[in-house]
Amino acid sequence: MLAIIKITFREAMGRKVVLISLILAAAFLGLYGTGVHFVARDLARHPNPMLAQMIYPQLLSFGLYFGGFIVSFLAIFSAVGAIASEIESGIIQTIIPKPVRRYEIVLGKFLGTGLFLALYAALFFMIIYLLINLKTGLELTGQWNAMALFTLQPVVLLAVTLCGSTMLPTIANGVVMFMLYAVSVIGGMVEQIGWLINNAALQHTGILASLIMPVDALYRKIVHVLMNPAGDPLQAIQQMGPFGSMSEPSVWMVVYAVLYVVSFTGLAVYLFSKRDI
Amino acid sequence: MDLAIETLNLTKLYGHKVGCTDICLRVPRGQIFGFLGPNGAGKSTLVKTLMGLLYPTSGEARLLGKPLGDIAKRRKIGFLPENFRYHEWLTFRQLLDFHASLYGMSKTDKKQRIPWVIDKVGLSGRESQKIRTYSKGMQQRAGLACALLPDPELMFLDEPTSALDPLGRRDVRNILVELRAGGKTIFLNSHLLSEVEMICDTVAFIKHGTIIRQGTLDELRSAEINVEMRLEGITDQIRSVLVCIALSLTIKGNTVLASVSREEDIPLLAEAVIRGGGRLYELNLKRSSLEEMFISMAQEGENSAGDY
Repeated sequence: MLAIIKITFREAMGRKVVLISLILAAAFLGLYGTGVHFVARDLARHPNPMLAQMIYPQLLSFGLYFGGFIVSFLAIFSAVGAIASEIESGIIQTIIPKPVRRYEIVLGKFLGTGLFLALYAALFFMIIYLLINLKTGLELTGQWNAMALFTLQPVVLLAVTLCGSTMLPTIANGVVMFMLYAVSVIGGMVEQIGWLINNAALQHTGILASLIMPVDALYRKIVHVLMNPAGDPLQAIQQMGPFGSMSEPSVWMVVYAVLYVVSFTGLAVYLFSKRDI
Repeated sequence: MDLAIETLNLTKLYGHKVGCTDICLRVPRGQIFGFLGPNGAGKSTLVKTLMGLLYPTSGEARLLGKPLGDIAKRRKIGFLPENFRYHEWLTFRQLLDFHASLYGMSKTDKKQRIPWVIDKVGLSGRESQKIRTYSKGMQQRAGLACALLPDPELMFLDEPTSALDPLGRRDVRNILVELRAGGKTIFLNSHLLSEVEMICDTVAFIKHGTIIRQGTLDELRSAEINVEMRLEGITDQIRSVLVCIALSLTIKGNTVLASVSREEDIPLLAEAVIRGGGRLYELNLKRSSLEEMFISMAQEGENSAGDY
């Protein structure tokens, strides 16, 4: 299995989508860093603590939201054809007859791509965190927990995309995965509106969307872990808006996300071990 | 008998569609076995089933004495698929290293074996090139090198020379003959009948998913012997005796074309003519080439079906 992990990791690193994603990430972080720099400079020149406490968390959550977006896209693109494209090209015919079990092929691909995505996401998170922390001096809590949750987001998408890749052609799988991701993102927005106007139906719709695809719930959890609003009414206001988190997803949602990863990876192993090539 | 490949009623169905049915093969070790059949006959289905790419619907199969899917035995089996592609972004050497790792080869084995296979397939000096820069023929050689990596006891080669030029084909033939001399078994799936005829010990013909003939080339050739006779004075009596001896009989003027199943039947044909009062001027024996046998078997039943 180590050979599969190694080659998958190398392949993930060598993909053109990674290079483009790195360039776009650099452009995004450059713009984002510039924005943070000028906001921090202006607020340092004309101190306004209340405004600062309102704007800095918004900047952070904005950075993490779109950072998660980029990482999630990369996760889908990296895994969408992990198995399907090798079946389509015939590469898999040179691997299955070797002395490796089919589950080792699936797990090797999961671990190789997962390792790459986790490193990419962790680096992305650290850059955003350091930019905010160093430029604005915003005090944040639980950055390591938040980083772990940030790296879990692409892994969740990886598991379900890999599973889709064992039974769907590459393009069909890509379409399904982006739709699932959209369900999660829109569900998250709907839920925030539900909390804002205290509408239970919208809240439940958001929770249902999180159960279908828990990526957005993880993002909301990250925001809460970094900026715990407990006992601070001002910070509760900071959580308003599309990038905030007005209701903290419970720890069970994190447990659910981990089980989600395990289940879909297990299902991928099962489906691949049963299918004819 | 020590068998490299043994299948018993091996069947693969795709829903209601037949891939191959009731395949019974016994391939002894140390042979080159040719597997022939028209397109869509079920050749690739059988190879894929034996290689673990397809799951059989029913029946059994053993490779090197172990049931299909035995991981340990796979270390001793090499496979070159027909529609193969390798990781094009790797160099040839990196590709071999990856496949050697899949075979679980140690660093020492890799160090020894990789240069050997590179040299064997004639790609020395090209090992640092990326696979994507290789021509189709070079990729086929690279594929053969991957199959040769574990020093296999059994090799499955699906159209191994389809992209090669005549020199390349000769090189591959030489490798296969050399492997056989070393006691290896080779399962060769090929459309190049002259090649099969040159190197195979035994062959099997598959049609509509079923094996219709198998045996050594000589056995198959002698399964049907064509005899051409030029004679005068053909009577109904001669005709009726000839029909009893021959598998098939065609009479055109003074020329009689007869197919018999055994060599011993040839003098019986002559005797029938003489005893019936005919005069025999010429008797020629024609053995079928593999190509003729292939065409005849591929068309068997098709013509009669067309008459209805």
